[in-house]
Amino acid sequence: MSALVATVRAETFKLLRKRRVYVLAFLYWVVLPAIGLIVGRLLYTNLREFEREGLPVNDLLQSLFSAHGLATVALTGPAYMSPTPYIIAVVLLAALFIGEERGQNMWKTVLVVQPDRPAVLTGKLVVAMGALLALMLGAFLSAILFGTVGMSFLPTDLSGDWLGLLGLYLWQWAHLLAPVLLAFLLIFLVRSAVLGIVMVLLLPGLIEGLYTVLNTLFNLQPLTRFNAIFQALRLQRVWEAAPRYFFTTNLYAPGRTPAREIANELLETTVQPQDLGPLQMVLGTTTSLGHAAAVMAGYVLVFGLLLYWLFRRRDVD
Amino acid sequence: MSAITATGLTKRYGAKAAVDDASFTIEQGEIVGFLGPNGAGKTTTLRMLAGLVRPSSGTCTVLGAPVPGGTLREVGTMIEEPSFYPYMTGRSNLRHAALLHGDVPPRRVDEVLEFVSLQDAADKKVRAYSQGMRQRLALARALLWRPKVMLLDEPTNGLDPAGIAEVRESLRSVAAQGVTVLVSSHILAEIEKLVNRILAIEAGRIVFDGSLRELVERMGAPTVTYTVTARDQAGLLAALAELGYAPTPRGEDGADVTVPDEEADLLLGRLAERGVRVTSATQRGEDLEGAYLRLIDPRRRPS
Repeated sequence: MSALVATVRAETFKLLRKRRVYVLAFLYWVVLPAIGLIVGRLLYTNLREFEREGLPVNDLLQSLFSAHGLATVALTGPAYMSPTPYIIAVVLLAALFIGEERGQNMWKTVLVVQPDRPAVLTGKLVVAMGALLALMLGAFLSAILFGTVGMSFLPTDLSGDWLGLLGLYLWQWAHLLAPVLLAFLLIFLVRSAVLGIVMVLLLPGLIEGLYTVLNTLFNLQPLTRFNAIFQALRLQRVWEAAPRYFFTTNLYAPGRTPAREIANELLETTVQPQDLGPLQMVLGTTTSLGHAAAVMAGYVLVFGLLLYWLFRRRDVD
Repeated sequence: MSAITATGLTKRYGAKAAVDDASFTIEQGEIVGFLGPNGAGKTTTLRMLAGLVRPSSGTCTVLGAPVPGGTLREVGTMIEEPSFYPYMTGRSNLRHAALLHGDVPPRRVDEVLEFVSLQDAADKKVRAYSQGMRQRLALARALLWRPKVMLLDEPTNGLDPAGIAEVRESLRSVAAQGVTVLVSSHILAEIEKLVNRILAIEAGRIVFDGSLRELVERMGAPTVTYTVTARDQAGLLAALAELGYAPTPRGEDGADVTVPDEEADLLLGRLAERGVRVTSATQRGEDLEGAYLRLIDPRRRPS
């Protein structure tokens, strides 16, 4: 049996014996859609009186609380939370597959039983990505189930662009490879699951926040010795383009895509604007899927190369 | 084909050499004791042989192939404290290792559990295991894929005398099947009972490589240990102290005493002169511990 297949089997065996995986699945598959249905029912009761004033209550309920709506919210909602449930799932899995080996002093066992280090690392990545796929597809299916149940007390139906939505789920899942690699890398690098998790949760936001602060400083008028140097180097354009390559902006692009459609749909019938304008910036939906995929591929390459290089070379102490 | 070879094996951490130019060969079927004080480089050497640590220079091979390499899958190890996933049962930990290895039939898990007498505790979570049970479970894991070579670092650490005897018997039984064993231990009496060859390491350098007999011969035997019993233990101890020895009480009527080799024949006569009625006296020859202590500490060697 190949080392990769053996590792995948062993790590799956381990994954299925970890309680946190079931807690995560329960939250994502049961609690979130159940809360969605309860909120939908409350809105249905309380928004009726606004219907006379032109609020498209049924459209709103169909967009958010139908089977398709719940599945959309299950994809899009987490992308707006902080930290996002995606990242929480990623760091929990990374802690299980990398952090725990360090914490329980298991590397010396794992890498003797299976000395093919690239296969061990790839196997762990495969199982982590498989777990994320199962979580996301499970959420998709449970949304359909809960949405179907909701049809008995909400004016909703099963209509919707199901294939398009499933595509976005898979697209978002593929984007999660970058944070998985980052989490594996940081936890392995700092030799601590806790510190690695904190870094994964904070580092991208910290870098992006730092950019905002520096951006304000560099653009201060009048020119000072500080921002004059910066502007003289003609880095202004590069600097301004930097946010397009930020990790989180691109990471959640597939998940945030439906937000534009939902907002468009709702605003179209209540107010006039077809063009969302600045709202797009607020929703974070200005990045095209192609651009986001290219940027995330770059992150995957960098994190992946660093991780494999480090994993192959490091001594197990 | 040798089971293990090390050629100029060196591991440096900064300026300090944890292992310095170690070279040795272990043939298949040998049981070799790896001795050395704490920090001498035993564990680092074993880690290099297991492919966990990259040598700074030098090479090592296991079953003829360079380390790290595919032949490591033929190696069973217990290196330092045994470690497991505490939330899994003993059986699950072994099943995980078996799956990870990839070439272990499922029934083998039960076989090794039985071999180390853990079948009754197999379905308990490992976090509930005692140190001795963990040690035995680690041995079971090391045996899962019927290794041809075993690298064992302090395998009897933390075990009670019964546990030590069990592990010793297990290792003897493994060795009888032709498995090559390199075992480090601080309990020299255990090594003495188990191995047929000694590798001693001191400050990262191999300082002795040979049989137990050769070690004792090379270090000489300047002392002899007696176990003496008498009707009056207090009188016996007082007389030995008077003669300038440092006796250790043994049981209710005896004492152990180590005397210089040249005084050994005179001991009983001197006790009789002091009115001690000796009921028995057993002389023990030079043991591994004495020879080993003189190997690593030149001040103990005869001038």
